[in-house]
Amino acid sequence: MAEFSATVYQNEFLPDGGTDVHAIVTVDCSGAGVAGQSGGGDVGEIIIVDTSGSMGADGVRAAAYAAQTAIDQILDGVWFAVISGNDRAQLAFPPSAEPVMVRMDPYTRQAAKDAVARFYADGGTAMGTWLRLAARVFATVPSLTQKHAILLTDGENQHESPEVLTETINAVTGQFQCDCRGVGVAWQVDEVRRIATALLGTVDIIPAPDQLAAEFQKLIRQAMSKGVATADLRVWAPQGAQVLFVRQVAPTVEDLTGRRTEVNALTGSYPTGSWGDESRDYHVAVRLAAKGIGQEQLAARVQLAIGDQVLAQGLVKALWSADEALTTRISPEVAHYTGQTELANAIQEGLAAKAVGDTATATTKLGRAVQLAAQTGNEEATSRLRKVVDIDDQDTGTVRLKRTVEKVDEMALDTASTKTTRVKK
Amino acid sequence: MDVAMTSTTRTVCPACGEPVSGTDLYCENCGAELQSSAPATPALDTDTEPTIELHTGDPGAAAAVVPGPCRSCGGTVSADGYCETCGTKATKLRDHFTEQPAPWVAAVCDRGIRHSRNEDAVAIAADPEPGSRALLVVCDGVSSSLDSDVASLAAARAARDVLVAGQAQGMGTEASREAAVIARLNAAADAASDAVLANTSPDSPNPASCTFVATVLEAGLLVAGVVGDSRAYWFPDNAEAVALTVDDSWAAELIATGVPRHEAETGPQGHAITRWLGKDAPDHTPRTTTLRVAGPGWLMACSDGLWNYCSEAAPLADLVRQTAAANGGEPLATASALVDWANAQGGQDNITVALARL
Repeated sequence: MAEFSATVYQNEFLPDGGTDVHAIVTVDCSGAGVAGQSGGGDVGEIIIVDTSGSMGADGVRAAAYAAQTAIDQILDGVWFAVISGNDRAQLAFPPSAEPVMVRMDPYTRQAAKDAVARFYADGGTAMGTWLRLAARVFATVPSLTQKHAILLTDGENQHESPEVLTETINAVTGQFQCDCRGVGVAWQVDEVRRIATALLGTVDIIPAPDQLAAEFQKLIRQAMSKGVATADLRVWAPQGAQVLFVRQVAPTVEDLTGRRTEVNALTGSYPTGSWGDESRDYHVAVRLAAKGIGQEQLAARVQLAIGDQVLAQGLVKALWSADEALTTRISPEVAHYTGQTELANAIQEGLAAKAVGDTATATTKLGRAVQLAAQTGNEEATSRLRKVVDIDDQDTGTVRLKRTVEKVDEMALDTASTKTTRVKK
Repeated sequence: MDVAMTSTTRTVCPACGEPVSGTDLYCENCGAELQSSAPATPALDTDTEPTIELHTGDPGAAAAVVPGPCRSCGGTVSADGYCETCGTKATKLRDHFTEQPAPWVAAVCDRGIRHSRNEDAVAIAADPEPGSRALLVVCDGVSSSLDSDVASLAAARAARDVLVAGQAQGMGTEASREAAVIARLNAAADAASDAVLANTSPDSPNPASCTFVATVLEAGLLVAGVVGDSRAYWFPDNAEAVALTVDDSWAAELIATGVPRHEAETGPQGHAITRWLGKDAPDHTPRTTTLRVAGPGWLMACSDGLWNYCSEAAPLADLVRQTAAANGGEPLATASALVDWANAQGGQDNITVALARL
């Protein structure tokens, strides 16, 4: 049985009249086991592969090989299916005109691999149709409590309007989780990130087709190690208080604020998807009515819940003090993740400005990103930024945009922008 | 809360710059916490302290320690110690408690706002017949010592129990009755001192200590005894207020030499006391005052958490009379309102008010 724990890092001391309480809550999960073993329902896995014309014969061959590698990693007993997508979606396996899934066993494993080998490149790209079919396929097995997909694309969503894609994303949000990967440099990071973020998944770039198999293997292994099908973060705040935001800040920055559903008038629930043995950090900010010096109150109860069962709780406190030595102290954890969140925004805004030719904004934003990456010790971000800008002084954030930048480096900087480093505790 | 004049190290308060003793937990001037030693969670969480049973009504009956509804909003207090509705930290019984042994006698003891512990204590007793017999004891733990909250409560109760046990009825002359009451006050101070010592670890670097004020009212005879700077007053409805005690304090010694009260009490060492109960106390015999009283009027014993904000007898009498008038003359409501008033003035110290309505 999985065990959760919650640890709060904060400076609970507020000055006279202070209202805003910030805390980092680390949630640890251990003993999660493997997917489908907890007895809490069945696991479903769908592999979605782009087979549009732009993939080309070599690309499709590499994608098929990657899909076969992924199929090998799916545990026996797991319900699965394979979808091939271009400007429309087809169920490649099981071979059926109607949506359907089958359980993994030696026979279905081989049959699926054979079916995938018959992929060929043709047609355009309409990712919304792939997502809708995946949702319909998952819906055919009511016993599924853990639904995960991986989606591979190589190009822009040309055969579908952004509005239709948005509608589709909204329609399928909450129905399954989806990790998205783009191969090559012809796809749009923003577009695919929208899908991954809404479906509680990750986004990354795979520069060359021969790297696909290793990535697919890793993704399915991860999915199979998630022994907790689904869990929610709950945040209670006192009557009259305002939850300013709830963010996941590690391993990646994800703003959860808008995903709130109400448990009761004072408690909101935020979906966190499936869990394996892992640790995630959340940044919670609450605005309270100020109380008198010396008074103490609870600012938030941050809980990890599976269904109605609360498995871990962290208490975020507020204590008004006249002692400046206490009230001016900044929690190192809060400072670290505040910086990391700003870093992610600075990178994304800087690259967006660069893409539309706004050199001044791009230079400012990416300079700020360089500064923040240095301050928060995010060496991975620093090295990615180095491929896009020349750094004159990282302490002041003085940079110049490189004249020629490899598209793949820019996209890698973009997809990795939300990855954070853990604070040293 | 007071400072015993035994400390040698002197520093200044980081909040207000006033001199403080090196062993003080709080600044006597502004109430700032001095020895927070700044761990991630400061030593505020005294939930793990041994539960102290508190008497209500019948002095012999221990009240069960049941967390009631939230004192702030009336909501349910969660097992995590905070209100489920407004998040207010549940008050520990030691931080705020009341006693009312008879409708005409009541006391409220409160942590105040600035301090994280309530080192004040009160223990009272009374006969049901209004104006007949009332015993009020207030002890104020010295903040520079350890476990003063435990010691002060033990001391107040021990003294009260001694006073309850020895009733001086039918003792002949007025003079012999008075002598008997004074002897009982001495015995009560001894018992209180023993209780403090019993709650002091033998090798404590800062042995527990507290002040002591007790009043005995029996059939019109009122005797007050004091060690330290907790006080007793008689506020007759139709005559001038009477201070029944003179503080054993540095400020009181200055006042005796002609320094104005306000100047003496707000100056450096204004709160330093010269006598107290505890292991390092030179002498704890209470100094007594005797008065013949006839109602109507208010008898009050209190700690400096109240009188800090109103030290002169006459304005304090006005405050008590007005507060009583606003609360229908009900002693418990009046004592609570006086505590609220002190908190509204800043609540820089623990606050105790014990009242008897004659």
